[in-house]
Amino acid sequence: MKLVSGIGAWVVRRVASLSRLIAVAWTVVVSAVQPRFWPVPARNVLARQILFTGFEASRFISLISLMVGIAVVVQAQVALAKVGQSGLLGPILVMVIIREVGPLLTNFIVIGRSGTAMTTELANMKVNGEVALLDAQGLDPFVYLVMPRVLGAAISIFCLTIIFIAVSFVSGFVFGLLLGANTGNPGMFIRSIFGALTKADVFNLLIKAFVPGLLMGSICCVEGLSVGGAVTEVPQAATRAVMRSTAALFITSALVSLVTYL
Amino acid sequence: MSAILEMRDVSFAIEQPYECELSGFSLRLEPGELCLIAPPPGRFATPIADLSCGIVEPEQGVVVFDGVEWPARSPLAASAARGRVGRVFERSGWLSNLDMDENITLAQRYHLHREPEDALQEAQALATELGLGELPQGRPAHVGREELLKAQWVRALLGKPMLLLLERPLRDLAPAEGAPFVRAVNRLREREGSAVIWITGTFDRMEDSALRPTRKCAMEGGALRDLVEL
Repeated sequence: MKLVSGIGAWVVRRVASLSRLIAVAWTVVVSAVQPRFWPVPARNVLARQILFTGFEASRFISLISLMVGIAVVVQAQVALAKVGQSGLLGPILVMVIIREVGPLLTNFIVIGRSGTAMTTELANMKVNGEVALLDAQGLDPFVYLVMPRVLGAAISIFCLTIIFIAVSFVSGFVFGLLLGANTGNPGMFIRSIFGALTKADVFNLLIKAFVPGLLMGSICCVEGLSVGGAVTEVPQAATRAVMRSTAALFITSALVSLVTYL
Repeated sequence: MSAILEMRDVSFAIEQPYECELSGFSLRLEPGELCLIAPPPGRFATPIADLSCGIVEPEQGVVVFDGVEWPARSPLAASAARGRVGRVFERSGWLSNLDMDENITLAQRYHLHREPEDALQEAQALATELGLGELPQGRPAHVGREELLKAQWVRALLGKPMLLLLERPLRDLAPAEGAPFVRAVNRLREREGSAVIWITGTFDRMEDSALRPTRKCAMEGGALRDLVEL
């Protein structure tokens, strides 16, 4: 009986936590489309978030995608050429890079790089009384702190995913050419990829590049703002945020793949 | 005349870090009035200020600002109403990730959509008047305590607030430096009809006749006891 009540309590806690998270993400989306929630300071926070999460991470993402391009795209070209199935290059690259690796790796890198920073920053602000200070000046912490950060993270991840995919394809093609793989001309390579793209792939990419970012931003903000008054809670909040964001990423990714392709 | 701020039979208790207990606390401030309050020694001024601007809700009684009880406002309306309150904070008055100029003008840009240059121009004029000279630059962590306090005054007076909440506002200043701040408060009361709560740490400050308070009281047993009939 004790075990059953324990499981029940755990489920109730999880459901409450999940509904809180969805409520935050949904409120961000609903508020973000209303101009009255965008005073200039909130727009400045959005711009800074995109600069930090998107622009400043673009070089690192490009480097990683370069390596993925070399490893995956070149290998696929060489392997398919060996078995005389070069025509499958487009479908395989779309399946591996566009559907799964691109969105997953980009989200993963941003969680590690910006998610922790976001949680730590907000948690420190809470501990130092800066959130209460905003409230006392009439600045809604949701409008000033949460909404622009969540949206900035989601927009950045979306753009970084596109960069990731583009750079990995370009680098894969160029290195394949340099290594003497049977790459064909650039036009053929591009056509084979675009030819393999379906509406479901585009839908899948849009959702996977935007929704996990929205959830990651919400999780990091909620965890950051949920600390009490002790500095020791800050690293704990950062750890929780990374774990939950990663879980949300993989669950969302798997669900979207299931819904889209099965 | 309608009151800018009214607290009726307010009771509440806060534990750490402020340790404040109010019981049957009542206060009414009409336009231009100033109430000097001395909390018990060692106690923070913050709970009274938080109560005044609706950050904390009393367990009993009501707090009315500009004719409306704080809980009757929507969160957005309450935020907008707080934009009409200037405040000198006793603790942590700055956002560490913004420069001083952004910090000082933040509420003005948020609530009134003022251009930064316009708000900074008014802030600079106030800084000069209050003896701060040039507005401090850079992050708050790199600015001295005295300058930070004066800059808090500049921020509190910016945009001519309807209510001014001052939590031990002269604490880091030499007594002789207090005159421009008192003058600024009096001018705000006379010209703009702002109401002021000045929470002081010492009775010396309370006896400063230049302030011309309309009420002068000490907190005893959670309630206000008038010290002088004015």
